[in-house]
Amino acid sequence: MRFPRLLLTSLFCIALWGQDAALKDTFVQAKALWATQGDREGATARFDSVVAALAPKALGLDPEWSQVLCESYNWLAVLDDRNAQTRARAQVRLQAILDLNPDFELDRTLTSQRLSTLFDRMKGEKYAQVKLSWTPEGGRLTVDGRPSPLSPRKYLPFGPHKLVYTRPGHAAAEALVELAPKDVKPVEFKLTRVASTITLFVQPGDAEVLLDGQSLGYAIGKAGPEAAPYAIPLGLRPEDLSAPFVIPELSPGKHRLELRAPCLRTKVLELGPDLSTPAADHTLEPIRMEASKGSLSVSSAWPGGELFLSGQSRGPLPVLNLPVCSGAYDLQVRFPEGGYTQRINVEDGQSLRLEVKPKPRLAFLGLEGGDFTGRARFLSQLETLRDRLQALAFIPAHPDELPKDALARLKASREAELVLMARPLPDSVIHRIELVVANLDGEEERLAVKPLEQDPLGALAARLNALVAIQQPGAGLTLLDLPGESGPWVLAAGEPAQKAGIQIGKPLLQAQGKALASARAFQAAVASAKGSLPVAQEAGTLNLPLGMEGLEIPLGSPDLCYPALLAQLRLLYAHANASANTGAGGDEAGLIRLNMALALMQFRKFDKAIELLRDAHLSSTRGVSQGTLDYHTGRCFLHLGPAYHSEAAQAFRQALKYPQSTLLGPDGPLVAPLAKQALEDLR
Amino acid sequence: MSVLPSRFRPTAALLCALPVLALAQDADLAEKLYRSGDRAYAAKAYKEAADTWAQLLQTNPKSDYAPMALLRLARHQVEAERQPDAAMPFLDRLRADYIKAPEAAEGLLLRGEILAGKARKAGELKDAMAEFNRVLDLFPDAPACAEARLQLGRAWRDQGQWGRALQLFVDAFRLHAGSPVVPKALFEAAETLDLLGDTPGCLRMLQRLREEAPQSAEAQEAAWRVAVRVKQRLQKPPLRNEGSWPAGRAKWLKTPILLANGLGGDLLIYQNDLDRTFRLHGSDFTPQGPTAPGAKALLASPSGAVWMLTKTGLVREDAAAAQPLGSLNAVSGAALDRWGNLWVADAKTPALTLFSPEGTSRTMASPPANALAPLNTGGVAIASDTDRKLLFLDAEGQPRLVVPYGKDLPAAFRYVTALAADGAGQVAALVDGGDFGEGVVVFGPDGAVLRQATFKALGISGRITSLALDRTGGLILCDRRNDLLIRLN
Repeated sequence: MRFPRLLLTSLFCIALWGQDAALKDTFVQAKALWATQGDREGATARFDSVVAALAPKALGLDPEWSQVLCESYNWLAVLDDRNAQTRARAQVRLQAILDLNPDFELDRTLTSQRLSTLFDRMKGEKYAQVKLSWTPEGGRLTVDGRPSPLSPRKYLPFGPHKLVYTRPGHAAAEALVELAPKDVKPVEFKLTRVASTITLFVQPGDAEVLLDGQSLGYAIGKAGPEAAPYAIPLGLRPEDLSAPFVIPELSPGKHRLELRAPCLRTKVLELGPDLSTPAADHTLEPIRMEASKGSLSVSSAWPGGELFLSGQSRGPLPVLNLPVCSGAYDLQVRFPEGGYTQRINVEDGQSLRLEVKPKPRLAFLGLEGGDFTGRARFLSQLETLRDRLQALAFIPAHPDELPKDALARLKASREAELVLMARPLPDSVIHRIELVVANLDGEEERLAVKPLEQDPLGALAARLNALVAIQQPGAGLTLLDLPGESGPWVLAAGEPAQKAGIQIGKPLLQAQGKALASARAFQAAVASAKGSLPVAQEAGTLNLPLGMEGLEIPLGSPDLCYPALLAQLRLLYAHANASANTGAGGDEAGLIRLNMALALMQFRKFDKAIELLRDAHLSSTRGVSQGTLDYHTGRCFLHLGPAYHSEAAQAFRQALKYPQSTLLGPDGPLVAPLAKQALEDLR
Repeated sequence: MSVLPSRFRPTAALLCALPVLALAQDADLAEKLYRSGDRAYAAKAYKEAADTWAQLLQTNPKSDYAPMALLRLARHQVEAERQPDAAMPFLDRLRADYIKAPEAAEGLLLRGEILAGKARKAGELKDAMAEFNRVLDLFPDAPACAEARLQLGRAWRDQGQWGRALQLFVDAFRLHAGSPVVPKALFEAAETLDLLGDTPGCLRMLQRLREEAPQSAEAQEAAWRVAVRVKQRLQKPPLRNEGSWPAGRAKWLKTPILLANGLGGDLLIYQNDLDRTFRLHGSDFTPQGPTAPGAKALLASPSGAVWMLTKTGLVREDAAAAQPLGSLNAVSGAALDRWGNLWVADAKTPALTLFSPEGTSRTMASPPANALAPLNTGGVAIASDTDRKLLFLDAEGQPRLVVPYGKDLPAAFRYVTALAADGAGQVAALVDGGDFGEGVVVFGPDGAVLRQATFKALGISGRITSLALDRTGGLILCDRRNDLLIRLN
């Protein structure tokens, strides 16, 4: 938040500076026109334009511009006074001066005696004089709580006033005065020192100043000529330094001064006790901060990614050795489908390398209205999903955007694949919040949670993080755990395993030289092997070739979030499809389509599922394979009603051509008897 | 703009708010009544709970809690009172008046389960199946759908529609991952695959069940079924005499003549000299059931109670008096079918007599049967020495399979003394006569001979009168002459 504000302020100052130069020029021209050329009209027009520019913001003007405005009024009063038609306006100009700054002194050489007298009379009707004196110099005066320029004479309206004079390192002094017409009251301030002060100049500016770990503010702005004695010996100009930053009260003892700024190495200074005792004003030698940078490399096997650091584009991937200021960033990579988010911290001198792949993006739309106990806590917990989700890239809600507007925006921009809505369930007292996870095509799941429970989002986070494999390594063996056998017993084997020499009807004794206790232990050995797995049977050792075997996603599982699963599959499909176009991944794409169709069948979107299944092909004929696709196609057509029974029958007939096709996985139920029964039912 | 004078406005506002306030109060009262009944039920104060819920139904019939109360009342009748018929009025009202309520799904399912439980033959399952189908059609997302699919599958299986049953069992575990129904559905699917003749498919499914739900009761059941099927059907080792069983125990019985499998695979042994049945569980040997002199058949009911058929009738452990068997006085065998009907064979009667659970009887045309054994198809296997055939009958008494004596054997036998089934599809016969002589034959569910041996080859010389199949693929023989048991493996 701080950086955008600073940026805006800077831009505003640049604009004002440009405008100020022209205005000052106008002011100078006006004075010259009158003084050198006697061009009264020209001078009046220019002073008027200065007044027109400054008067609307008179209360916020700094002392320099306030002086310009008062002087303009003074000149205009003089000019108006010289013309009978405008003379009446002269008094208005003088009144404007009094309203703006009653301490302003008319230019008596310019102003006629009559006007000066009139001005003094007008001032005397409303203001009385206070004669101020103060020690030490360099403090600040406030009158009735508002800052006021220090001057020996001040004119204040009649009535009571409170004047306070403060200076860092000193106890404040205050005076109460009651002013009546024609009063001239003296006020003297003598401050007592109570502590040391430290004045800092930092190069470059805009550094956060911390004393003993506590932030005191920022050293901003530019130093004036007063900094020259400190800047010049270091070969710097005063304006290279920040405006002086004063630590007003340094308590006795040692202190740790720390300066932090983005892209700069943190500077730490130990302040000895001699700086705080005896109490005095100290100005430190200008503190120069050095640049602090690391580098960032981001790449991805997935095409089309664009890197963003804290919302700012850093170009398309791969990004190699990008110099970045040290510090924390919200890293985001936007892909054509999906995205990647991570909060990173770049250390000084560090080379950070990331290999990323897209995840489905889940945009939180916000918590709908309805007051309930624990609302703030619940909202903050929703925001923590960013750090809890590993399988999804979380996009927080836009502040002040209504959920329905956010949904419309996302539907139009397609910046997210998934949305999360939270809405209190109406009741006499709200005790439950409904969480809706949906994709942009309308497939959604609802989950009711109690906002006051310990971790109301635990179940949601677990479901969103659940990943499901659609392939597993396998050896094409069907194993049984039989009592009395010395290892899992081979019930059946695929052709490659038989060719490798596996004996059906015999137990597997070892895998990778280790005894096998069960079929599950064999699966674990397969999962950790690559390419092939050495196994032992009675007849000897052989090398089992391994391959990937298709799986179906579990349906109806309370542990899964199906819209999220569908989004993950779509992302995988986009990648596999791209690979298929380059000649690889065809079967993988078919398997993903099959599982996407299954997820759609979970939502009873049978027509959509058919579209996916129709164009999917699997070259395998065993396990989850082409027959599986055909069987599910038939089931989908059945759900569409009698009009599609002939298509359903056709699909079941196709499925029967693959007697080794199964559901769920390589050892799942055979499709053929199910397809056969479905065909009989259709007859 | 108001048309009422200002003094009437508060009254009018109050009158308008009254119905809303009344509704809110009603809802509040309904919730309190429901929770109160719930609390009483948890404390087992069933009558108080039932009264409270009845009051809720009377005072707030339109409340969301009314269907919940109806369902609880129905469940109470089924689970606590064991009176399913008494639950029906509540379930009828739930179906008629609250069909849109979420509880209606559970109500329809329970109604279907009660109707299925009352069915005594396949044709009586129609109404139950209609209720299960209603659950699936009206509440496709309800958790009750998993159980409805399982129950519908069982109903199809009980009608002999194994293909349809398989579809539903597969859907029950495929579409409801993580549901408590999954182990049951996997088990039923495996057993249905076995009925369909797909032994490898059955074994794969049982293995899957053991991996997915290893702690379930179904997984324990699957373990021995896998072992038995692999041994009997795939490995088929030659039968070997392991000698007396339990090992080393000789002359320890008093004229054992009948064997049967009890609950959990325990062995039931009827000792003729003691007129009683004993249960052998591990090394525990304890009497079970009443005395029954001269028992001719022995079996265990689904609840594990011992039933013995004698000349005086059916002597049941779970009934006070013997049930007369009519004119049957030469009982040669008995078995219970899936519907709870007791099939009795009489050596002198050329028919089978079926006794229903309610006590009624009917005869079914059949050749005279010398022995009976239950089949996991829901029917029974009978051995007819007259026809020299083994018949595998379905639950309607129709022969599904006929196996001539001696088929697939080196020589034919003439008599079957006893039959035994292991519940996993195998049937063992104690045979005698012919060129085969005295011995045992183990048949598969398709009637194929899996294992066989003559007693001569096994070195057995006692008088074997009965046999049983155990859960590790062995056979137990009862030797009345030597007062011991022999195990073949």
